Amino acid sequence: MKDKLLYAACLLAAWLVLANLSVILLVLPDEAEQGAIYRIIFFHVPAAWSAFLGFLLAALASVAYLVKRNLWFDALAVSVTEVGLVFSIVNLITGMIWGRIIWGIWWTWDARLTSMLVCALLYAGYLMLRRAVEEPAQRAKFSAVFSIFAFIDVPIVWFSIQWWRTQHPQPVFRGGGSMDPAMYKMMFANWVPLLLLFAVLSAVRLRQERARSEIDALRREAHAL
Amino acid sequence: MSFFRHAFQIAAKDLRAELRTKEALNASLSFALVILLLFSFAFDPTAEQTREISGGLLWLVFAFAGALILNRSFARELTNDCLDALVASPVSGAALFTGKCLANMALLVAVELICLPVFGIFYNVRWVHRFWPLLLTLILGTWGITVVGTVFSALTVNLRLRELMLPTLVYPLLIPALMAAIQLTTGLLAGQPLAAELTNWLKLLIGFDIIFTALALGLVETVLMG
Amino acid sequence: MSSANFTFLVYGLTVAWLILFVYVALLAGRDRRLRREIEQLKQMLQQYKRS
Repeated sequence: MKDKLLYAACLLAAWLVLANLSVILLVLPDEAEQGAIYRIIFFHVPAAWSAFLGFLLAALASVAYLVKRNLWFDALAVSVTEVGLVFSIVNLITGMIWGRIIWGIWWTWDARLTSMLVCALLYAGYLMLRRAVEEPAQRAKFSAVFSIFAFIDVPIVWFSIQWWRTQHPQPVFRGGGSMDPAMYKMMFANWVPLLLLFAVLSAVRLRQERARSEIDALRREAHAL
Repeated sequence: MSFFRHAFQIAAKDLRAELRTKEALNASLSFALVILLLFSFAFDPTAEQTREISGGLLWLVFAFAGALILNRSFARELTNDCLDALVASPVSGAALFTGKCLANMALLVAVELICLPVFGIFYNVRWVHRFWPLLLTLILGTWGITVVGTVFSALTVNLRLRELMLPTLVYPLLIPALMAAIQLTTGLLAGQPLAAELTNWLKLLIGFDIIFTALALGLVETVLMG
Repeated sequence: MSSANFTFLVYGLTVAWLILFVYVALLAGRDRRLRREIEQLKQMLQQYKRS
């Protein structure tokens, strides 16, 4: 039954993306100088939002783990962190492609891209930390501590890098000016299918984490016999 | 207040042990000096370029040298089960942590104070006239590095690949503090007064220190004792 | 809609979805491996209990 729910969610997400794409490509007006490439923003930005949602959930799950010591919270934390990291990679790569097209260079220390890169490094570190610890309870404890540190650091990183970039301004994707409200609505509208995908991928990953603890239990039984 | 008494006792023990062998101190200092000299060869910066990169160069050197000191901080307690003894003792986890932070801070600041004149000589940078604001920056920045580094030194002490995990986990966390310290140092060495723009970076550094000290003190018992 | 940079938009969107599909493929691979290991362990335990 659970599987059917996941497949249904995927199909819904796919349908929403296609519906949105038709609006994105046909209905929405052009941006002044960038040509069609700017439309990638409707995936670039919601991907970042999804990543941060993941990191927030991970931090909350980490706190819950440290309080309750229930390994389900740890499984949730790693699942949403991993999926969040994937979305942050989507944000980074689409950002780099966008930058390459409009400015001719793959990377500039644009405030948002740089901050996202640092966050991605932080959470890649989280996943590396998990690989280095064998014992499940200790792994959960250490990852929870790191996740909390990382999440508290995220706003400070954003803030400080934003400041740094106001001292040496680099090209920015969108000027400070406001966006057409239809575009704003579309960014949120496109976030919905991405969130659905986020939920589906996290659910699958969570199931795998339970499978792993089942394997650990079976192995212990085998050893005992 | 037994908390401070314990913390100072731990700090004194660590410093005494370190000063007798000087292992971490020598490793850290030589590494820092070699990098400073190598950079001077490799890039041979003009006065203008040096002014621009001074903060970045100094703090990268301090961060890398610091990792050597921080790594040994808890690693030294592994032999003969000293860490288990410390954890079992009446010293609270927070006091143990604070003591180690103070010791690491003293060692790292010592390394930095030796690097500063060397930097001044080899890069032709005048720093003596800005010594007090620079010292403030050094202390605040080093405290940030030390606090985060010591918590993760405790966390990674039993892991395989400890020497790789500590920098991997700590450096991204430290980016805001390093950035603030770098901007402050570059600004101060370029002759800017500690006002206006630079105070913003100072406030960021102080805020970072407060937030992460509180977080570390709150979580270190969990890390050490479960 | 202007056609300037349209091909690049397509590349960009393709890459974005490719990253997600690669992740799905990784998850599927891991799933298969985990399931196989569970089966193996269960069989091994059954054999041992029978003997």
